[in-house]
Amino acid sequence: MIGPTASLSHLHRADGSASYKCPATGYNILGAVNAPVELPGRRDALKPEEATVEVFVKPGTTTAGVGERYVEGLLRSVLGKVVLGREKGFPRRGVVLTLAIVGGENIERGDSYLTVFPALLHAGLLSMISASVPLSMTFSATLLGVTKSGDIVRDPSPAAAKAAVSLHVFAISSKNHLLLNESEGRFDFDTWELARQNAVTICQGSSKGSDGDVNMEEEKNASGNGFIRETVEDQIYSDYVYKLDSI
Amino acid sequence: MASTTASHATPPSLSLPPSQFARLQPHAYLLAHLSPPAASNQPSLRANGRAASQFRVTSANAGSLTHTNGSAVVRIGDTAAVCGVRAEILNTEDIASWSVSHASDEQTDDKKSKSEEGDTDSQDKEDRAHIQDLNLLVPNLSLSTGCAPGFTPGAAPSALAQSLSHQLLSLLHSTRLVQADDLRIWYQPPNLEAEALGEQMDVDSEESGNPAREIKAFWVLYIDVMIISLAGNPFDAAWASVLAALRDTKLPKAWWDDDNETILCSDDIADAKKLSLRGLPIASSFCSFEADAAAGWRSVIIPDAEEQKAQEQKQKKQGMQQRWVLADPDGYEEGLSQERACVVVDKENDGKAKTVIVKMEKHGGWALDGDDMRQLVDVSAQRWDEMKRILDQC
Amino acid sequence: MKGQPLPEATASLFTANPPRTPIGPGTGPTPLPMRSIRPPSAEPPKKVAKFAAPRGEGTAKMSKEAQLSIAERDFILEALRENVRVDGRQPNEFRPVDISFGEEYGHVKLQLGKTSLVVRISAEVTKPRDERPFDGLFNINLELTSMGSPAWENGRSNDLEASATNTLDRVIRHSNALDTESLCIIKGVSCWSIRADVHVLDYDGNLTDAACIAIMTGLQHFRRPDAVVKDGRVIVYGVEERVPVALNITHKPLSITFHTFNESKNVIMDASLKEEQASEGDLIIGLNSAGELCYVSKMEGGPVDPMLIVNQVSKAWEKAKELNIVIESVLRADLTKRAKAGMADESRAENDRLMATE
Repeated sequence: MIGPTASLSHLHRADGSASYKCPATGYNILGAVNAPVELPGRRDALKPEEATVEVFVKPGTTTAGVGERYVEGLLRSVLGKVVLGREKGFPRRGVVLTLAIVGGENIERGDSYLTVFPALLHAGLLSMISASVPLSMTFSATLLGVTKSGDIVRDPSPAAAKAAVSLHVFAISSKNHLLLNESEGRFDFDTWELARQNAVTICQGSSKGSDGDVNMEEEKNASGNGFIRETVEDQIYSDYVYKLDSI
Repeated sequence: MASTTASHATPPSLSLPPSQFARLQPHAYLLAHLSPPAASNQPSLRANGRAASQFRVTSANAGSLTHTNGSAVVRIGDTAAVCGVRAEILNTEDIASWSVSHASDEQTDDKKSKSEEGDTDSQDKEDRAHIQDLNLLVPNLSLSTGCAPGFTPGAAPSALAQSLSHQLLSLLHSTRLVQADDLRIWYQPPNLEAEALGEQMDVDSEESGNPAREIKAFWVLYIDVMIISLAGNPFDAAWASVLAALRDTKLPKAWWDDDNETILCSDDIADAKKLSLRGLPIASSFCSFEADAAAGWRSVIIPDAEEQKAQEQKQKKQGMQQRWVLADPDGYEEGLSQERACVVVDKENDGKAKTVIVKMEKHGGWALDGDDMRQLVDVSAQRWDEMKRILDQC
Repeated sequence: MKGQPLPEATASLFTANPPRTPIGPGTGPTPLPMRSIRPPSAEPPKKVAKFAAPRGEGTAKMSKEAQLSIAERDFILEALRENVRVDGRQPNEFRPVDISFGEEYGHVKLQLGKTSLVVRISAEVTKPRDERPFDGLFNINLELTSMGSPAWENGRSNDLEASATNTLDRVIRHSNALDTESLCIIKGVSCWSIRADVHVLDYDGNLTDAACIAIMTGLQHFRRPDAVVKDGRVIVYGVEERVPVALNITHKPLSITFHTFNESKNVIMDASLKEEQASEGDLIIGLNSAGELCYVSKMEGGPVDPMLIVNQVSKAWEKAKELNIVIESVLRADLTKRAKAGMADESRAENDRLMATE
């Protein structure tokens, strides 16, 4: 399977930006974060003690509808919890995240939004990191589909997701917390638990089980959190490459 | 406190009436209720007098609106939702995508019908194609003016109302509650050959020369939910009202009249048919209340999930509970917690068979984990029995 | 006039925008995006305005873009007096145009200096409008988000969005660059609806021209699925099943925006954001490679000599021809690349088949 690709800070105007592409589901997301900014239009919504996280999702080839509002609410609640909004300079200000779905299939009205959700979460997190918004932890997310025969498929394609009996999105933090779960379809608790354990393995990598240190690097790549870390490391490396040369 | 200087005249009383304490220190107020001092021998109750996993008093009443095909009012505590279902006819001629088929779909369809595998499977697909792709179910939720402070007249639909509308729609689709067959209006062209031949052959003609019947129109169900009073947990109330209204919905008998080239409906109530719904999915929402209000943001390193769990266990042994999962939160409790969970369950065979989860979500925090979710599913399953009783009576 | 509410002419154009709600039965209520109503400006409009006054303040107030400092503005203006642009370009020189394509047809990424945007063209089958049963539908959708500039608020339209949408509509849609009659499938029953979505990623001036180039490239690059009418039913073939069909482009109009400075003594093309803020007026000319004008707008700012407009038209024509050549060359390069990849795919499929038979 081809892994996802991501890059950081490729836009000029926004404070932070990231692009995230997941070949398995075909989605390509661009994210931009402006933070901290004044939000003159939302003065009534601003909180006196912490930052207000605002999320805007722009679909690729349609006008935003109720589905986008819903997914924005979820993203706001996940990222709002991770962002340290009480750090200096953040209270009474806004953290504005804009996500544009520039590649991949359209989500029609009433369709499940779960298929794009992990990609949106990743793009949002990476944009936050790119904008140097203080975070309490990072996370990674995965989409799992349970087929009719009971198999759990990772990152099913849109067609496979439609055929799946149940779909599950999990976001697991870098410290193994279950940050978010969205499941729909028909399933029982044991299936869910199995999917959850699968998700933990995907996001964390099998960190404890392996005793050989040969494939440490590979494993790091394979896990979701490893991928986020890797992307940020690459960016830092390219940002500080002038220093490396001078040493 | 400033009151100490003034209290020389009156006897010094630092105690505030509970209502003021609740407003000034909402978090401490709820915490004090949930963790009473061990000496007082009081049970841990929420500020509203409920136990942690207790739902509010729920009532439902169906069929109260006269101009709709089906309606219901559901009240959960002080949150009240009115739902009206209106059915309107959509001619297939007016559907742009009706006469359009995708070559790739057709091929797979052919294969399916040839191999004759999974009858329910192809039916599922057809249901999805009709209900979802043609948008035959149109739920819309509005938070009416004055349902809670802050809802002013003339404002655009709030993000909350829009996202609730989406949740209703996606739950209607993912549970496949309404069967597409109930919404189809068929036309059976008369078999002219058979009529000419006479009556003796009518048994055979069923199989041989009958022209295929065709769908001439669909019923579109406009499901309008109005939250007339919002005191927390709008989704459970809204979904229950949708469910009750759909159970109440009767569609008049409709047929295609070939002479007038239009759809005709029967006036006779006896001809009207109820919808046959698939199952009875019941939604239960929860929130998690944490003892330490600042746990999430104070710049301490957040411990690993395992560490945190061990720590929690230890504190629990000492009689210090750190967080409570509150079922059916009211508005006051919702304002004090960020982490939310929602479980929608159904039981097959009228509650005799096992519990099926149709939707599960949690977001806004990291306290709830797999074990908590298992408990929530159990609580939701109990709630299912209760709600079934209420909905059956209405 | 500066800093005042838009003149009536532009205000009425809000209604000329294509409807944003999807067309089709049963789509249900779609919430309208929130629109801010601009408060009437506090100051009464002044009758006498100094034309030479820079537009800087006005623009800053409108889109809340950070104001240009006085020193910076003076620097730009002084330099222009000596025919020097801050980035060293000639007055009639565009910033480097970089066009690339995504995997899908009609997915264009355009970089014009630091202004960058993505255009996606999409097609679906819908019902034609009742009053025009022979015509398909074509809409351009431009929504500015805070990705492009922190000054733009998400979900609220601003003046730039309205004026850019209007210009794009006039230049491309109303000039019938895309032949909508060719989009008809069955008269009055079904037709193609083509939609161009513009996502602005970075805004550094000259949004209109950049969007125009990208949309025109996208329309020429896009291939819609093939559709066949069979027994009154429309059968749509996927991109893998049948060779998709290119759109019927009647002509290739582009918009060229000029900005005037120093009492219209200096006129430049493709202004950057800072130049835009320092300018006193603009002039937009929309025309195709054949030099046929389809849109001229002298919307706001200081007055210019009519002869200047005539002179600029010929300069715009040169530029439009130049840009269309660039577009053609990138399109050709991409098509050959795709053809090669397609051939490779085919031969691979052939090999697989051979393997299977063996």
